[in-house]
Amino acid sequence: MISNKIYLYDGNFSTLIDLITKLLAFKTKPLNICAKNEYQPSLLDETIELELDNNFNINKIQISKNIIKTIYYIYLSNNQNKELIIYYFLLNALKYQDKIFTMRNLKCVDASLKISKYVSNENHKLKGFLRFQELENHILYAEISPTNNVLELLSIHFKKRLKNEYWIIKDVGRNMYSIYDKKKYYLISGNNMNILEIKNNEQEENIKKLWTTFFNTIGIKERRNKRCQMNFMPKKYWKYMTEMSEKYEKSNNR
Amino acid sequence: MTLKEKLTILADSAKYDVSCSSSGSTRKNEGGIGNAAFSGICHSFASDGRCISLLKILMTNCCIFDCKYCINKRSNNVKRAIFTPEEICELTMNFYRRNYIEGLFLSSGIIKSPDYTMELLIKTIKMLRYKYHFHGYIHCKAIPGANEYLLKELGNLVDRLSANIELPTESGLKLLAPNKEENKVTKIMSYVKENHNRSYVPAGQSTQMIIGATKETDLDIMTKSEALYKNYDLKRVFYSAYIPVNKDKVLPMLKTPPLVRENRLYQADWLLRFYGFRVKDLLDEDNPNFNILMDPKANWALRHLNEFPKEINTVSYYDLLKVPGIGIKSAKRIIACRKNFKITFNDLKKMGVVIKRAKYFITCNGKYFINSDLFKKSFIEANLILEDNPKVENNKEQLSLFS
Repeated sequence: MISNKIYLYDGNFSTLIDLITKLLAFKTKPLNICAKNEYQPSLLDETIELELDNNFNINKIQISKNIIKTIYYIYLSNNQNKELIIYYFLLNALKYQDKIFTMRNLKCVDASLKISKYVSNENHKLKGFLRFQELENHILYAEISPTNNVLELLSIHFKKRLKNEYWIIKDVGRNMYSIYDKKKYYLISGNNMNILEIKNNEQEENIKKLWTTFFNTIGIKERRNKRCQMNFMPKKYWKYMTEMSEKYEKSNNR
Repeated sequence: MTLKEKLTILADSAKYDVSCSSSGSTRKNEGGIGNAAFSGICHSFASDGRCISLLKILMTNCCIFDCKYCINKRSNNVKRAIFTPEEICELTMNFYRRNYIEGLFLSSGIIKSPDYTMELLIKTIKMLRYKYHFHGYIHCKAIPGANEYLLKELGNLVDRLSANIELPTESGLKLLAPNKEENKVTKIMSYVKENHNRSYVPAGQSTQMIIGATKETDLDIMTKSEALYKNYDLKRVFYSAYIPVNKDKVLPMLKTPPLVRENRLYQADWLLRFYGFRVKDLLDEDNPNFNILMDPKANWALRHLNEFPKEINTVSYYDLLKVPGIGIKSAKRIIACRKNFKITFNDLKKMGVVIKRAKYFITCNGKYFINSDLFKKSFIEANLILEDNPKVENNKEQLSLFS
């Protein structure tokens, strides 16, 4: 049954999956699914909110880890219709199970896999492009502004890599912080925090200079290829990269 | 000399070593800092478009050798510097903590003797591993001629160990690097191959050849690569377009490094390693060099047009790999998908096939993509060349005759 209603949820992943499983159980095809805080009311829309479980355990659904991961990555994407995309992906995943990864002739499956890949790619890129600076109190601090919401994925990576350091990663665009205390990381909205002025450690400038020196020296001038550099390292990441931030400012003032 | 000056000299001297990869190791963070990422991570890209993943430096650019192509040869009057082990460790740690790098690439000029140099490298890396508790990726160069027990010790500390073969033939090496002997390099490779396991050089070994400094043909180079892959289980052979840094009558005078040739060699290298090609499929005595205008696979396909077009829905994995525009990933996807449904031209794009190249060489369910009268070598060749070389203007006119 195709519903003419827009289903609202609180923006949580668990709630979304609970909502979608309920819709699938009722065989209801929603007109759209929206997070409440992102929904823009319109006179013509009919909205509905079901009673949902924000602790819903996705492992209860009979699907593989790979499918769960794909769905979670789509959830982290900045795609406007990600909820509906997840709905159709899950619908097909229940039917085809792991065979779904080879069903690229289905438009919704192809789109889902591409979005999931896009998120995973951006996560991988930022594992390299993210730059920490050391603050006065030896905490490592990084700012990023990714297209997709990869803050948590990055936190998992740096929790393993820098497990004996205190670090903070800020997603500037979403005003979200990931704060790591050598045991766990916590994702906290900037609205709920008082951030004191950020002061760098005094040797920080010196190390930044050493890195920039290395960066400028290691390129071979006879092989100069700015386009290739830009292809691999898109300009949107430059702003927060120690070695590129100056070039970013320059190119924007031109 | 300040640390910054040292870094400038010793990074500048290391930049001609191509290898940047940081993949293939699963080293864990055991109570210190760092781990290895199996897929490797690029942290930045230099102005030449090459990836930066490791802090690539020489321990010293002092050298007792006098290799003609090398900026650091003994007879050159250049500024010399040497890092202390502490300086290398501090730099690596400071860069790694800030996520500038994935690890360290350490090479060195040869001071006093190969053994002495190796001992210094080992001292440095030992310090980094045990005193600084660094568990990130380390790629170290082995010094040809050093004692085997040193190779053993170093290999247990690093993720990748490598030695550069430099030139594809012994005569080339004699001419340009009179102090180097090929068998000293291959001795290292044999040793690493025999001892390679999860804790000894876990990411395997690689090597590098200079392209265009000597007279060798692409056939010489690829034959060498094929033998190296076969005999020593190398992970990679890197090719480095020769850049003239010294003047010498035995060295060629090049205005620009042979970058397109280098690219063709890399393409052919992938064909050897993953696509089931052999050197003799690609080159022979009559055609000892690759076509600069066209990639080796397309070139091969045009010379074997009688084996095409290939039917996407039935041919084997290795037959799919022979099609220009189809890579490993798309071939695997095609194999997996066609079990479930008949693949059409529309689906191919979704699987990552480069249609503009593949379309001349395939059928889907018996149908040819374009007018089948156009399945002609001259037509396909002209189109592929135009595709690859937008600057070839005179081909454009030729093309308009066909379309």
